Amino acid sequence: MNRRTFLTYPIVSAALPSMSTASAVLSRIPSPEVLSAAASTDIDFTAHLPAPGTFPERWICGSSSCMDNQDPPIQVHWYNEHTAYLRQNKAYSYEAPFMHLYFGNQRILFIDQGYTQLRTDWPLRDVVDGCIAEWCKRNHRNIEEMELLISFSHLHDDHWAGINQFYDRPNTRYMGLTHEEMIGFWGMTNYPEERVTLDLGGRSILIWGSPGHVMSEFAYYDTYTQILFTGDMFYRGRCYISFWEPWFASMKRLMDFLETHPVTHVVGCHIEISRTGEDYPYGITYQPDEAPWQLTVAELRHAFEVAKTITQPGIYFTGSVFLCNQTRGTTTVDKNPYAYY
Amino acid sequence: MSQTGNQAPTHSPHAPKRAIPHAYPNGNPDAPLNPPGARSTDSCLPIGQTGEVVHNYACTGPAPGDIAFRWIHGSVCAATNRDPRIQVVAYNEDTYILRENICINWEAPFTYLLFGNAGALLIDTGATPEAAYYPLRPTVDAIIRRWCSIRRKKSIPLTVVLTSGEDIAQNQGLRQFADRPETTLAPIELAATKQFHKLASWPDGTGAIDLGSRVIDVIPTPGSHKDGITFYDRYNGFLHTGDLLYPGRIQIGNDRDYVASLSRLQQWSEAHPVKWIMGGHIEMMFAPGRAYPRFKNYRPFEHVLELEPAVLAEALEAATGVLGKPDVVFRTDFILLNRVGPDEKNYRTSPDLPFIPVPIWLP
Repeated sequence: MNRRTFLTYPIVSAALPSMSTASAVLSRIPSPEVLSAAASTDIDFTAHLPAPGTFPERWICGSSSCMDNQDPPIQVHWYNEHTAYLRQNKAYSYEAPFMHLYFGNQRILFIDQGYTQLRTDWPLRDVVDGCIAEWCKRNHRNIEEMELLISFSHLHDDHWAGINQFYDRPNTRYMGLTHEEMIGFWGMTNYPEERVTLDLGGRSILIWGSPGHVMSEFAYYDTYTQILFTGDMFYRGRCYISFWEPWFASMKRLMDFLETHPVTHVVGCHIEISRTGEDYPYGITYQPDEAPWQLTVAELRHAFEVAKTITQPGIYFTGSVFLCNQTRGTTTVDKNPYAYY
Repeated sequence: MSQTGNQAPTHSPHAPKRAIPHAYPNGNPDAPLNPPGARSTDSCLPIGQTGEVVHNYACTGPAPGDIAFRWIHGSVCAATNRDPRIQVVAYNEDTYILRENICINWEAPFTYLLFGNAGALLIDTGATPEAAYYPLRPTVDAIIRRWCSIRRKKSIPLTVVLTSGEDIAQNQGLRQFADRPETTLAPIELAATKQFHKLASWPDGTGAIDLGSRVIDVIPTPGSHKDGITFYDRYNGFLHTGDLLYPGRIQIGNDRDYVASLSRLQQWSEAHPVKWIMGGHIEMMFAPGRAYPRFKNYRPFEHVLELEPAVLAEALEAATGVLGKPDVVFRTDFILLNRVGPDEKNYRTSPDLPFIPVPIWLP
């Protein structure tokens, strides 16, 4: 099975009783009991779109003394019954990255794995397994029959540090840590323009390239919630634009996408701005007045309008995001508070 | 075990010659076994003796003492850190070095508690006001109680001073001492500070705090802060420089003042024996010219706290070189940031320093 057939892997369900496909598929046919259970509860991810959901009023956002933080290591928020968003506690990692769990009838897509390596320090595996068990119980699925696909938004370590916590998890595939393995995982041969469709079992995720922050980054669009995930390429914080031309092209690609697909929310990997537009400096572990995670389509469009006017390296605030054009990686707008001249 | 005396010369053209502190890990057999500085400290008294114990703090060179421990340096996930909230190291019987846990506040400031026959002096107060998170007052009280008991004193007055009144990484614990009996708190405003230390011709002139035959000199050293002060402890030969000079990313507040203050300290060190420069923080790694950026609460590759007095001349030269210019200067033991933001050239170093790869990226 090559990458391309893996992506469009036929969905085994009661709707396809003939099973005339290749023998490679046969080994993965669920037991008859499971098949009948699945048949009775198959979730329709194509009706009544977009599927409604909610974001929390506030995310957990650290504490003044990290070692006195009593919040859970990972905040789990169910956007709706089939979509969970996770966030690493800021007292565990200042990056406090967001992670995504999208459930389909046959597969689960898990995007990004946080910024801590070891399960003993930060129990990502346990929390994800817990979410999957909860979803399977709610939807009468057998956990063993659900394939977990672990991918990440881009090749920065705050988005895949926890990946090896899953090394022994059954029925689990994960992306490699090189550009070649990343595009190979999705079967892409024409990155970044090519848009592939990942079938989770009745729920499609559209994936395409969005280089600019780094050269190896994907955008993900969930057809069920119609949420567009733009990684670190565009999020409510300091979008560190390492490479302007590819980034601008990626923005243009997003604009084109908006013309053909409805988008409910735009989400990224971090929050680095307060509700009043104040920049939380890189590395800070307490953001008491955080702005919401999600951005509107209008905010994305406006950022593109601002981007059109940018010709020089520098930091440009669009009202919702800082576009840090070719500034160094940990730029903040901070000054020495004790300077006196 | 081989001796460390035959090390290859340093690669840095700027680095001054360093003393090798542990050239004789098992003792030097040729050194005198009863050196002139050694004398009874009355620490272990005959049974039955009564009355206060009085020390003679007069000495020809720096008093003996050692930092024999590694500083605690945070953990991969700060929320799971279970180290002491304050690390206490007894440098010698009359000198205590306290450090705030990095996982309470990334600044992890150092606080010094010095004792004389008639008074105790606390230099700086840490970065966290809440005693529940950062119990500075109970920790200082406990050290003072034990010290008083071994010196057979009922109590000893405490003076709390600051290397900079405006520095929120050092003045936050001050209010924990507000209601403490027999305690004098230095003010945080510059004008009042000048009065408190009797520094009428600031930044010229010096003041002194007499702790009872142990005198601490007060030297105005604005530069990192407009109200910066350095305390010189004649007993240990320490310069307590706060934010002015420490192994870290030193933010210069005013470069002319900074150069003037370093010159002042340079002159001071020529006239007075200086063993070590003891700053307020550590941000450098032990790899030359490399530092942790702001907010890091896990710093496993930290530089030692103490700086050799030769670093004064090196810093003075480096600071003079950037007078009036926005720039970052990388040296083996410190980094100067002049007229730039606090995150300028994070993780960088200078090409004229040897590059030592440090696995800093993934916790």
